[in-house]
Amino acid sequence: MTTIEQTVEIKRTSIRSARAIERRRLFLWLVPPLAWFTIFMLIPYATLLYTSLGHVDDMRFIPGLSLDNFVRVFTVDPYLSVIIKSARIGLMTAVFSSIVAYPLAFYLAFHVRTQRLKFLIYLLVIVPWWASYLVKAYAWKTILGSGGILNVGMQSLGLVHEPVRLFLYNEFSVDMTLTYIFTPFAVLSIYAQLERVPTSLIEAARNLGADGWMIFRRIILPISVPGVVAGAIITFSLAFGDFVAPVLVGGPDSVMISNVVINLLGVAFDWPMAAAIGLVIISLGLLLISASGWLEERTQTRF
Amino acid sequence: MDCVTRKLHRLVTAAVVGSFAFSSTAMAGQLTVLCWEGYADKSFIEPFEAESGCKVNAVYVGTNDEIVSKIMSGSGTADLISPSNDTTMRLVSADAVSPIDESKVPNMANFLPQFKRPAWDVKDGKLWGVPYGWGIIRVIADPAVVDPKTDTLGFLWDAKYAGKLSVWDDIETVYTASRYLGFKNTYDLSDEQLEQVKAKLIAMKPNIRKYWFTTGEMGTLMASGEAVGGNSWESTIVQLRADGKKIADLMPKEGRGGWSDSWMIVKGAESNPCVYPFLNYVSSAKAQALAHKVTGFGYPNVHVADELDEKTRATYTELGMTDPATLTNVDWWQPVKRRAKYLEIWNQVKAAAN
Repeated sequence: MTTIEQTVEIKRTSIRSARAIERRRLFLWLVPPLAWFTIFMLIPYATLLYTSLGHVDDMRFIPGLSLDNFVRVFTVDPYLSVIIKSARIGLMTAVFSSIVAYPLAFYLAFHVRTQRLKFLIYLLVIVPWWASYLVKAYAWKTILGSGGILNVGMQSLGLVHEPVRLFLYNEFSVDMTLTYIFTPFAVLSIYAQLERVPTSLIEAARNLGADGWMIFRRIILPISVPGVVAGAIITFSLAFGDFVAPVLVGGPDSVMISNVVINLLGVAFDWPMAAAIGLVIISLGLLLISASGWLEERTQTRF
Repeated sequence: MDCVTRKLHRLVTAAVVGSFAFSSTAMAGQLTVLCWEGYADKSFIEPFEAESGCKVNAVYVGTNDEIVSKIMSGSGTADLISPSNDTTMRLVSADAVSPIDESKVPNMANFLPQFKRPAWDVKDGKLWGVPYGWGIIRVIADPAVVDPKTDTLGFLWDAKYAGKLSVWDDIETVYTASRYLGFKNTYDLSDEQLEQVKAKLIAMKPNIRKYWFTTGEMGTLMASGEAVGGNSWESTIVQLRADGKKIADLMPKEGRGGWSDSWMIVKGAESNPCVYPFLNYVSSAKAQALAHKVTGFGYPNVHVADELDEKTRATYTELGMTDPATLTNVDWWQPVKRRAKYLEIWNQVKAAAN
C-alpha cells in the first residue's frame, strides 16, 4: 500500500466515524422533539380517538370500536348546525378583524415616521392583552346593554326614546366582542407582512408615474394578502373555539360548539361524544390550515 | 457564599423546619372529605378540629360526576362525600356508600321533617345520607311588571313578556317545562314527552332575553331591567332585595325544583372515629348557621335561624327556609338515567333559531 492510499483510507475511516458520530448526535437531537411530539400530540390524540370509539353506560366508560358518535355528530341535531354556526361566527370575526386591522397596520407600516410613535401605537395594540379576557368581554355588556353607555348616549342625544335592545344578547354582540378581542392578532400579522414591502418597489412605481391608489392596488395589496390570510386564520380559529363570549354576551340561540363540548363533559358525562366532536373539529382545522397554507403559498409574492 | 445563595439557603432551611413543625402537630385523627367549595370552610371546620382533634382535609369538586367517578374508580380515598339528590341514590345502588347510624347523629332530631328521612337518602328502610345544604329553584318576577299573585308557570310563555325573561341555562329548565306540561315523571320522561318539552321550550324562546349562567348574572339582568322574570336560586333574591329591589317569589301550582346535598359515608370509612363526630357537628344549628354565612344555602336544622344575626335571619325567614310550608309542592331532583338525552334536548332548544 502506498502512502497516498493509506492516507485516503485513513480519511475514509475518519469520515465514516464522523458520520457515525453525526448520526448519534442527530439521534440525540431528535429525542427531545420526538418525545415532545409523542407525549403532547400522539398520545393525547390516540386517547381522544380511543375515547370517541366507545360509549358511556350509566356513568361508566365502555370501550368499543363503534363509529356511532361520529355518525351522531353529522346526523343528530344540534351538533352539525352548531358547528356551522360557530364557523359562521368565526368567519365574521375573521372578516371584521381584517377590516379593522388593515388600516391600522397600513398606517403603522407606512405613515408613522418616528420609532417612538411606532412603538407607542404598537404598545396600544398589545396592552389590552394585559387585561383579562373576561373583563374585556364583560365591558361590552356595559357598553351595549339597555342601560349601557351606547343606549344612554343615544337617548340623551334624543336619537331614540326607548333603549335599543338589539345591541346585546344576540349573535351580533358575540361577533363584535370576539372581533374586539382578537383584532390585535390580525394587526400584528398584517403589519409583519406590510413591513416586508420594499420601499424601492414603491419608489420605482412612483418614478414610473403611478399614483397612491395604483401603488396600493398593484403593489401593496397583493403583497399583503398572505398576512391577511394568516391573521384571518388565527382570528377564525380563536373565535371558532370560543365559549366565553356566547355565555356572556350571546343571546338565547348563541350556543357554540365549545359550549356543547363543555356540557357533554360536565353535565352529561358523555366523554365519547365530546371526543368525537373534538376529532371532527381537529380534522376540519387541519383541512383549513392545509388550505390556508396552500393559499398563502399561492399568494406569496417573491422579489 | 454570596448573598443570594445565603438567602436561598435560609429559605430552604425555613421550609424544611416548617414542614417538620407542621407534621409534628399530628392530630388524633384524619378525615378526608370530597365536597363542594364552601362545605369545608375554615370558619366552621376549625372549631370542629379544635374540639374533636380530627384534622379535616377537604378536596373540592365541581360536579356530582366528579364525586361519582372518583368514588367508583377508587382513586379518591375519601371518607365523606356531599353529593346532591340527583346522585345520592346512584351511589347507594352502586354499593359505594355505607348506611348512617342515626343514633350517632343526635342533632338530626332537630331537622325539618322533610329532611329527617328524605326519599333520596332512604333505601330498604335504611338512611344513607345526612341532609345538608338545600335550596329551591325559585320562580321570580319583578312585581311592577308581573302580577306577584301569579300562581302558574304559564306566564313564562305569555307573549306580553317578549324578550324580557331569563331562565337558567341548565336541564332544570327542561324539568320546569315538563312540570308545566303536567308530566309527573319529570326525571324519567319518554322520548315522546321530551319532544313535547322541546317544542314547549322553543315556544318560550321569543320571551327569552338570555339564558343565565350564574345566579349573579340573573341578579344583574333583573336589576338592570334586561329581564323581568324567570327562575333562579335564593341567592339572587337575597342579592336583589339587599339592593332595595322588590322581587316577587312566585308559588307556581305546577311545583318547583329542589336540590339537597347529603353527607354520605364512603364504604369502609364508617370505622374512622372522626366520621360520626363530623356528621353530628355539621348537623348542629350553630355549624349550619356558620355555613349559611358562607354559602347562602338553606340548611335542614330548624334552629339555624336562631343562630343567625338579625339581618341574615330576616332574609332567611323571608325566603321561608324555616317554614315547612315552603317545602310542600317541591319536585325534588332525582337521578336522571338518560341525562345525555335531556342535555341533547336542551342543546337543541338553545341552537334552535328564535
